Amino acid sequence: MSLKRLNFFNRLIHITSDDSDESRRRQLLNIILLGVIVLTIILMAILIIYLLANRQQTASNDIKLIFIVAGGLLLGTAGIYFLNRYVRRGIASIVFLVFFVIIFNFADSPDQLANGRSIILFSIPIVMASILLKPYLSFIFAAIVSLDIILLALWIDSPPNFPAITVFFLLALLSWLAARSLDQALHELRRTNATLDQLVQERTRQLEKSLSRERIEAGRNQAILESIADGVIVFDVTGTVINANPALLQLLEREPQEVKGMNVNDLTRSRSMDARNRGILAGLLTNPGQQGTSYRISWKKKTLSVTSSQVFSTEGVHIGTVAVFRDFTREAEIERMKNTFLAVVSHELRTPLNSVLGYAEMLKEAIYGPINEKQIHAADRIISNSSRLLSIINDLLDQAQIEAGRLIIHPSPFKLAELIKNVHEVLDKLSQDKGLVLTSGCDPRLPDTIVGDQVRLQQILINLINNSIKFTRQGSIHFRAVWHDRKHWRLEVQDSGIGIPQEELSRIFDSFHQVNGTASRESGGFGLGLSIVKQLAGLMGGSVTAVSKVGEGSLFTVLLPLDTQKAGK
Amino acid sequence: MTASALVIEDDEDLSEIFAEALRSAGYAIETVGDGATARERLAGPPPDIILLDLHLPRVSGTDLLIEIRADERYAATQVIIATADIHLGQEYQQKGDLVLIKPISFTQLREMTWRLRTNNTPV
Repeated sequence: MSLKRLNFFNRLIHITSDDSDESRRRQLLNIILLGVIVLTIILMAILIIYLLANRQQTASNDIKLIFIVAGGLLLGTAGIYFLNRYVRRGIASIVFLVFFVIIFNFADSPDQLANGRSIILFSIPIVMASILLKPYLSFIFAAIVSLDIILLALWIDSPPNFPAITVFFLLALLSWLAARSLDQALHELRRTNATLDQLVQERTRQLEKSLSRERIEAGRNQAILESIADGVIVFDVTGTVINANPALLQLLEREPQEVKGMNVNDLTRSRSMDARNRGILAGLLTNPGQQGTSYRISWKKKTLSVTSSQVFSTEGVHIGTVAVFRDFTREAEIERMKNTFLAVVSHELRTPLNSVLGYAEMLKEAIYGPINEKQIHAADRIISNSSRLLSIINDLLDQAQIEAGRLIIHPSPFKLAELIKNVHEVLDKLSQDKGLVLTSGCDPRLPDTIVGDQVRLQQILINLINNSIKFTRQGSIHFRAVWHDRKHWRLEVQDSGIGIPQEELSRIFDSFHQVNGTASRESGGFGLGLSIVKQLAGLMGGSVTAVSKVGEGSLFTVLLPLDTQKAGK
Repeated sequence: MTASALVIEDDEDLSEIFAEALRSAGYAIETVGDGATARERLAGPPPDIILLDLHLPRVSGTDLLIEIRADERYAATQVIIATADIHLGQEYQQKGDLVLIKPISFTQLREMTWRLRTNNTPV
């Protein structure tokens, strides 16, 4: 209610103008005018009440005069008010002040006005002029009122009141100084305000600009994230999900609102995973390993490949973890099928080959009656070629098993001398056929019985020696078991073969790698033998190295952990 | 008296090769092609030597091996295990008198079984 009234009052006095000084002055005039109007109305009301209380039938001439003056004052003030509202600049103020000066001339006797008590009235327009108009106009009005009192003095034949005139001008000077400093102060304030406004606007514009730029960038990044086919999930440093793209939600069959705010534990607590997979995933997400290492986990019926890495800000501060999930189901299925296929094929190939070998041996041994030299030779060729084919199939099967992680090392105690003797027996004939001398040895510092997978150790030796036989045209091959230190032992195969070029040494243990294609084709082989040796050695916790000199021969060394703990049993 | 051998192998060719090797080593041969028939035959008189494939149709070779070892009548019978699976072979090392990993060479089988026969035949 009071606010409404205030608004009404504000509307009454409000003046719109381009010049803020002018609008301030005109508003001030409005306030004075309204004050005058209200005061006049109150005065008239008091007079009417006074008349009614005294029950005077007719008013005296004085009172009539007061009514006429008050009415005139009302009309005049109202007129000036409208003039002030609608006419620009200080016209209304000038009219108002002049009007007042005129009115003052009738407010008292000329004597009192020129020299007596009422002379003070004339100071009002001087002060008001400096406030309602420009400061310097106080001097003009000082001049006007001075002229007025001189005229009044002349009218009553008295000398002009020079002290009063001097006071008027002094007052004008004071008003001018005060009004001017007020104006200046207001100017200063406005200028400061304007500068502040400009500053605020500029800052706001800058902020808007950077905000919109950030919004665009964030939007673009989000769009990129959402269009990635792999599932991407981002955690903050506390392990809480802060972003997950649609591909991830689809992979993990989750709703967007479900995932945001989840932590690693919530995510891995799914019933779709067993303890092992849960452990792997939790480890990946809470403690990301080296960048680029991916693990496979089973999620419901899917196989997922998960890669995780820590996220660092440009300042190098750890700000979270990002994990990428890829649906690996199809690939895993293909891999499984490939392995099954390889295993089946290998088995299915080996059985008939065993028969081929068996029948060829029977022919050669004359089980089905005597055969001639050429037939024996043919049977020999069948036997040696089928044996080669068999060893290739065996290598392929081993390779497939190693790749599938199904080749498991079965350590058990065995006699080292027996291993060396077995291998020697198996390969002695092959070496002799090629005119090579095969020798072997066992370091007496080694215990008689050690723990290891005898079958796979034998395979390592056979593969290495076979390789040496292939690449040695004349001379000898020596293999031995050697004590290395308290925790290691070595298997060594040394030949006097053609040797391996330095640049090839690092690659001879790669799958399907063959040194100098023609030579190996001559010698027969698939390029898997050495790769299997390396992988088997790796599975046993060991390693294989080769040193060689072209034309002088090679030395292959398999370094293995020495385990004798269970050997006593 | 001629020593007798029972070859339990489902692949016909391999069965023939094994049988020939054992025959050359001096055994009287009998062959069976699946686990169920083998079980019926094992109810009869025990042979001196059995060559047993561990992968057999109908009744597996591993089951037969357990039954043979549990049967007192077979206490004197020698069992040669034939398998393509190296680790299965290792596992049954203690249960067989000899474990052979396929592919099995004719000549090797002949020599080994000949040695078995001459070492054990009562004079």
